Amino acid sequence: MSPENFENLRLELRRGCLVLAVLAALRTEQCGYTLRKSLAEHGLAIDEGTLYPLLRRLESQGLLTSEWREEDKRNKRFYRLSSEGKQIFKQLLAEWQDIDSSLRTVVKEQGHGTSRTLHAGR
Amino acid sequence: MELLERYMQAVKFWLPRQQKQDIIAELSEDIHSEIEEKETELGRKLTEAEIETILKQRGRPVLVANRYLPQEHLIGPVLFPIYRFVLKIVLLCYLVPWVLAWAGLLIFNSGYRAEHTGPGWISAWGSMMGSIWFAAFVAAGTVTLVFAILERAQAKSGFLNDWDPRKLPPVRNPNLIPRSSSIVELCVGMIFCLWWTAHMHSPVIVNLPSLRISLSSQWRYFYWGFLILALVNISLAGVNLMRPYWTGLRAAFRLLSDVAGLALFFWLFKSNILVEIAAATISPEKAAEFTKVINLVWMPRMLPVVLILAVVIGVVDVFRIVRARKMSDVHPAGTGKSAVMA
Repeated sequence: MSPENFENLRLELRRGCLVLAVLAALRTEQCGYTLRKSLAEHGLAIDEGTLYPLLRRLESQGLLTSEWREEDKRNKRFYRLSSEGKQIFKQLLAEWQDIDSSLRTVVKEQGHGTSRTLHAGR
Repeated sequence: MELLERYMQAVKFWLPRQQKQDIIAELSEDIHSEIEEKETELGRKLTEAEIETILKQRGRPVLVANRYLPQEHLIGPVLFPIYRFVLKIVLLCYLVPWVLAWAGLLIFNSGYRAEHTGPGWISAWGSMMGSIWFAAFVAAGTVTLVFAILERAQAKSGFLNDWDPRKLPPVRNPNLIPRSSSIVELCVGMIFCLWWTAHMHSPVIVNLPSLRISLSSQWRYFYWGFLILALVNISLAGVNLMRPYWTGLRAAFRLLSDVAGLALFFWLFKSNILVEIAAATISPEKAAEFTKVINLVWMPRMLPVVLILAVVIGVVDVFRIVRARKMSDVHPAGTGKSAVMA
């Protein structure tokens, strides 16, 4: 597989996880720039061209609230989870844990199947 | 910082009006934060080249703004495959007749040929290409417009979601020979044979008091040739009726019979077959002149048509053989329903 194909699949895989990561991080109020930095520090780098439109979308869906406030002599926009956002986050987290557990089972079973086939082949 | 202001202005241009100020304020704050952080790290102001690098990393203004816009498309992913299919069909239906008409004009119309090969050929070809492109754009534009309207209608009503699996077309087998076509072939072949043996066995093919048409003695070869070919085709149609799937052998047989038929026609048009036309209303001199024109002008003019037909029929026949052989390689047991699913 070409590196380009891998990169596309990787981005596709990460896309859904990033929404969850953003919701998780915004349980504490943060502005866009610090949110981006904190996600990057946790290995979930997200470029600003993806993050800010995502924040707007989540806000328009009622999952986030935002307010402009002055900090360090500059106007910054701070985001945090709304009450609806907190509920959705809980549901999404449970869903993600289910997916994770199912995927682990599938990977484990398939891995065993593959190793059995290899042994039989020998 | 002038570079940054220019960048923000360029991004702002592409943003939706209601959100312009808000997005620009947030984006500007984000870039300022990044610059400030780098300046703290370095302990000095950033140079213009360093700011340029940051802006380049952010991306071209129109692309940055594009991420804030709702996703829009003229024809969406649901209708796009149908749109592409229809567009291909429309262009094919337009281009093929156009090329055939153009080839016909170039071969048969001496004035047109002289215009397109003579001294003014550049302008003649230019105007021809202009007209073909204009018509192609109109055809493609009309199809695109219709699908854009359908896309809007589909987005509102979702009419494509309402479908019935029972209305799907039956499974297609490319090697199937419809029984109806074999029956038609049989009937036409039999009628032809009856007419041929009754009226065309003599070189004097028309012998009326007011009109007499005589052919050369070579006619007997054509008479028997076409008769044998008709009988072969009747036999093939009979076998196809009983076993309605092409096999490699039968497809090869069809190719041979078509090649033989076309060769006969080719030979017929070259053999000055017409000897005499005698009509009560035409003088013998005029009739002789007419005979000569048919033999030397009209018949040779039919040769390119026979050649084009030969190529088209030959390609179709060869394709049929290849397809039949492929199917029999995949499913050696038969070319029936099991092959359909392959």
